[in-house]
Amino acid sequence: MPVIIHADKCNGCHGSNNPPCIRMCPGDLLMKDSKTGKILMRDPAECWDCLPCVKVCPQEAIEFRLSYQLGFHTARLIPHIHDTRDFITWELIDTKGGIDKFTIRTKILPIELDEKVEGVAAVDFSI
Amino acid sequence: MEQNIIETDILIIGGGTAGCLAAVEVRERFPNLRVTIMEKAHIDRSGCLAGGMNAINAYLNPGETPESFVKYVRFDSCGLIREDLVLSMSELFEYCVKKVEKWGLPILCDEKGNYIPRGRWNIKINGESLKPIIAKAAKNAGTKVLNWVVASNYLVVDGRVAGAVGFSVRNGNMFVVKAKATIIATGGAAGVYKPNNAHDAQHKTWYCPYNTGAGYAMGIRAGAEMTSFEMRYIGLRVKDTIAPTGTIALGVGAPQINSKGEKFMATKYAHIGGDGAPTPYRSHGPLQEIKEGRGPVYLDTRHITSQQARDLKSAFLDMYPSMVLYWAANEIDPSKEPVEVQTTEPYIVGGHTQSGYWVDVNRKTTLDGLYAAGDVAGGAPYKFVSGCWAEGVIAAKQAGEYAQKNDFAEIQASLVHEEQDRAFAPLLSFTNKKDGIKAYDMEVRLQKIMEEYAGGAATYYEVNEERLLVARRRLATLPDQFKHIIAEDLHELMKAHEVIDRVYVAQTLVEHMLYRKETRWPGYCTRTDYTERNDEKWLNFVNSRRDPDTGDIEMLTRPYVQIVPGDRYKPR
Repeated sequence: MPVIIHADKCNGCHGSNNPPCIRMCPGDLLMKDSKTGKILMRDPAECWDCLPCVKVCPQEAIEFRLSYQLGFHTARLIPHIHDTRDFITWELIDTKGGIDKFTIRTKILPIELDEKVEGVAAVDFSI
Repeated sequence: MEQNIIETDILIIGGGTAGCLAAVEVRERFPNLRVTIMEKAHIDRSGCLAGGMNAINAYLNPGETPESFVKYVRFDSCGLIREDLVLSMSELFEYCVKKVEKWGLPILCDEKGNYIPRGRWNIKINGESLKPIIAKAAKNAGTKVLNWVVASNYLVVDGRVAGAVGFSVRNGNMFVVKAKATIIATGGAAGVYKPNNAHDAQHKTWYCPYNTGAGYAMGIRAGAEMTSFEMRYIGLRVKDTIAPTGTIALGVGAPQINSKGEKFMATKYAHIGGDGAPTPYRSHGPLQEIKEGRGPVYLDTRHITSQQARDLKSAFLDMYPSMVLYWAANEIDPSKEPVEVQTTEPYIVGGHTQSGYWVDVNRKTTLDGLYAAGDVAGGAPYKFVSGCWAEGVIAAKQAGEYAQKNDFAEIQASLVHEEQDRAFAPLLSFTNKKDGIKAYDMEVRLQKIMEEYAGGAATYYEVNEERLLVARRRLATLPDQFKHIIAEDLHELMKAHEVIDRVYVAQTLVEHMLYRKETRWPGYCTRTDYTERNDEKWLNFVNSRRDPDTGDIEMLTRPYVQIVPGDRYKPR
């Protein structure tokens, strides 16, 4: 289960049809639950563990987990984007709860909460 | 079915590393030309760069020249490369790197402002956001971007590529993009073989699992000449995470050791450079150790300081964050114990190895109006990120000139309808029949055939004529099964085409492996019936062309041309 969505933190980006996490997944794996308006993972087995969805979530509602076959519970890795957008601090927690932090330079670009899709919404293929 | 018809001067298929640079270059050189990118995901984070990059691995550090680069790449590829292509891309490394730095990519510099090398051809970057940075430049240049449009086939009119057709995974619209010139930049192919990890980690691959050979397959179906598929890429990677090892081997100088602690590369492969041997040997060497009972194999990092271990983790966070979590989740400290390594599933790529479209020095393919750049273009290995950028720039220039001189081709409605029927068939099959084959089923079938008969990891990547003939026969049945594929939704429709495309790639690959009767790249493609390299007969490129009418694959060779003088098996 490489990415889990914390439903208590996800606000669906305030009714956005096409929120950043859905846009940033290169595998088309995140989708909106039409009933709750929150994000769902289509199929964890298709996830590449690349983390753009985790980094882009304004609520820090998406958490990266290694598949259990690859690593033990409850190690965690949480990226925090600085308000200045030019640094990212990765919080690394090992299986015993030990915390390490890595702050790295970057250049995070601002991102809209919604974006129009090309074409017309003609066919409803929602599941 | 909603149909969107778009006219554009230049169509770029694939908005990744090469595609974004190509878009900017067209708009800068030819401001009058309209450019459209067709991208199956969203260009902000699509393709190989989604997770980021921590180094530019093809760069001419002070003292190096395009000629010295060619010598090294030729050595690394066991004496056979398209020297014209490698020369022309290396001449543009500086141009591309400076350009992307100007767009905002943080490149690590020393106190004098010089880039910090990491090995002979590498410089360090903080490239976590590399992809959004180049995507923004493409958008700012005035490119029209069709996100979530999966390209399914070219529009071919009298042998000329006149655009492409695709479908949206968001709304099921069909997109017919008519173009004066087309640049294909869809990357290579993962998932042709059984992946290293299974179940919920099946996509824990090194190469982007969403690069599924669409550009190769479209070219194969249209009769484009392809080269060097038999030079599969099988990388040495960190065990389980399949993370790149260059960050470790080059970053802190870690030699390979076997379970006895022996530095086998340094001793057994000293004559070809030891731990600096050509890349295929750096996979072949450890495979032999494991085969002969001296595994596991490691990169020996026990000499590094705890600060170096932290720097290593920081470098991985810029590119492959799961590596760092893996160490924490398994209580591994790379400064105290060596890092176990393994080899990957075989990938078909033109950026590490040289599988792809046969192109001229202008990146023109054998199809009129079609140019290729990046992993999908053949003949020029060792491209990595900056070489893909360079090829995007070269293709943009040539495609732009072609578009200035040629008008749109007349496209018959029947051509579009035919492709519409083919593209959407799995959805209709589901509606009508419900029963059939899911994309996943065919993927597993394909991977099983390739793994067992076409040199998968379980057979140490070894092949022989008899096994390959079994693979050929089994694969030949799959195209007849395409009509049974069903897709319940648009995501599954995309997956259906991903596996269909990989079947075309696999069939071509098997023909290439059968045809080259030598072992030029041990580790990448070891033939147990022709174990030696044979420069007398095989110092040439193995190419293929599928007849679009009959489906027959014709094999041919193209000569190697040496441009840069010197011993082809020496790195300098």
